[in-house]
Amino acid sequence: MSLVTISETRHAPPVLKTVLRAVGLVGLSVMAILAVGADVFARAPLGEINLGPPLAFPSAAFPFGTDEIGRDVLSETLHALAYTASRAFMGMLPAVLLGELAGFAAARFPKVIGGFIRWVADVLGAVPTLLLAILAIATQHAAFAPLAAGLAATPLAFARAFDRAAGEERSALADYAQMTGIPAATLFRRDFIYEFRERIFSIAARAFAAVMITLSTASFLGFGITPPARGLGLMIAAARQDYFTAWWTAAFPALALILLVLFARLAAGLEEGERP
Amino acid sequence: MGRLLFRQALRFVSGLGGAAVLAAALAALSIPGATAGGVPYVLAVLGRLGAMTQFDFGSSQVSGESALESVAAALPYTAGLLGLSAIVATAIGVPLGLVLGRASGRRLIVPFIQVVAATPVFCASLALAWISVTVFGIHPMLPAGGLFNGSVAQTLALPVLTVGLAGAGAVQLALHRVAAEIQDQPWRSGLRLMGLPQFEIDRLYVAPQMFAGLFANLGEVALAMVSAAAVAEWVFGWPGAAILFVKSLAFADWDVAALVLLVLAAIKFAADLVGAFACDALIGERAA
Repeated sequence: MSLVTISETRHAPPVLKTVLRAVGLVGLSVMAILAVGADVFARAPLGEINLGPPLAFPSAAFPFGTDEIGRDVLSETLHALAYTASRAFMGMLPAVLLGELAGFAAARFPKVIGGFIRWVADVLGAVPTLLLAILAIATQHAAFAPLAAGLAATPLAFARAFDRAAGEERSALADYAQMTGIPAATLFRRDFIYEFRERIFSIAARAFAAVMITLSTASFLGFGITPPARGLGLMIAAARQDYFTAWWTAAFPALALILLVLFARLAAGLEEGERP
Repeated sequence: MGRLLFRQALRFVSGLGGAAVLAAALAALSIPGATAGGVPYVLAVLGRLGAMTQFDFGSSQVSGESALESVAAALPYTAGLLGLSAIVATAIGVPLGLVLGRASGRRLIVPFIQVVAATPVFCASLALAWISVTVFGIHPMLPAGGLFNGSVAQTLALPVLTVGLAGAGAVQLALHRVAAEIQDQPWRSGLRLMGLPQFEIDRLYVAPQMFAGLFANLGEVALAMVSAAAVAEWVFGWPGAAILFVKSLAFADWDVAALVLLVLAAIKFAADLVGAFACDALIGERAA
């Protein structure tokens, strides 16, 4: 058995994790198709009222039932899924760029500067992400919500990437490479490319899950997405007055939200209970 | 121990200082003319920071009373909720973390845990409320007066369960991470070869490491529970500090929001400090 084979065997990912990751990727693809093709798959345009009797139980005619003003819950859920997923995708970008990428780069800064930026991330990270997002939305405006959710997720993402990169910089391999005359900038470029070539999808999926949860919770609490736009969080909030008797008005949008977050978590390879 | 004390105290003080600057930056928005930005805003922030050092946190623009009084009235509810939820988080999270730390245990319940972890707190709280009403016939009620006034099942159970489950997720993650790390450590097999029973190895060597790992992540657990508390307080009408923060932001009551932000950040930094000391007391170093 060669050294290469031994090292590959020792570092082979657990089978369960690989299977879950594949499930996440497939699920995320299906949800993406549903979101992009919502106008095609939905049986009614967004917000069309009086399609059926109010608060009708799920049936063959209305698989997800109807809500208090006769809207088809299936169509509304698809439209809300498309809206929420597209906004979460927008919000994911600052979390990846200013969080993960910037954190990785900042670990290479001079110690004082890197340490100060890390301290700022610690202070911002001491406030729960949800409350930080609501704070950003309240000081700006509702349309800022996707970016606010992304920016709120940035401190934790930054701290994570910074700590990981700082550990790599101190590794023996980095020391040996520098002793042989390889400049620090070349090492950084190499590490940056390897880090994000292998992990960019996982990083993006993790950020997407974090922003999804923050954005939908903020709109449930009344911040962010406002009518006539309808996201999943707002849909669930609107169903609060009826859902004890008409459970389908909240259950199906909640299920769509949970599935989207679940597939993003699995695709990101998050451990059980790990927060995005 | 002295170096640890100094280092952790420095982290606590610097973190609290940073949180105070953040709170002052928020509170400065309530000063007329400060929102123009630039020098007036910076002066307003410095002024607010100076006032904070004299325990002047401004006044509520909604009720007119001092921000300190508004927050002091709401804080006991949040503190009570977090305290009771910590018991639930420990009771559920510790056994779960120990089970998930073993490879055989993980395979069985990993899919279930992943689904539960993907459920946003507001969905979980609504689901619990629905089960409580439709299955058990117990309607959630607002706490009337003090924390333990009224029926415990109607006022306390659902908020405590919601926040407790969120905390349990964070507790089990901290435990099972450490357990997974030390699962294949060579010293475990070495101790077995020396004839030590598995139970003694777990009791004397493994358990302190695992709980040290939990204490090292106490700040993360506190953060998860405070975030869940904000949602639970909203859903169940709990008059706590977290929902006071949300309502203050909705009404642009910046002074009150700033003080609550400072308190919540202080909770996290205090949890980090306590956790670091507990971790050091257990194993004499900070667990990875």
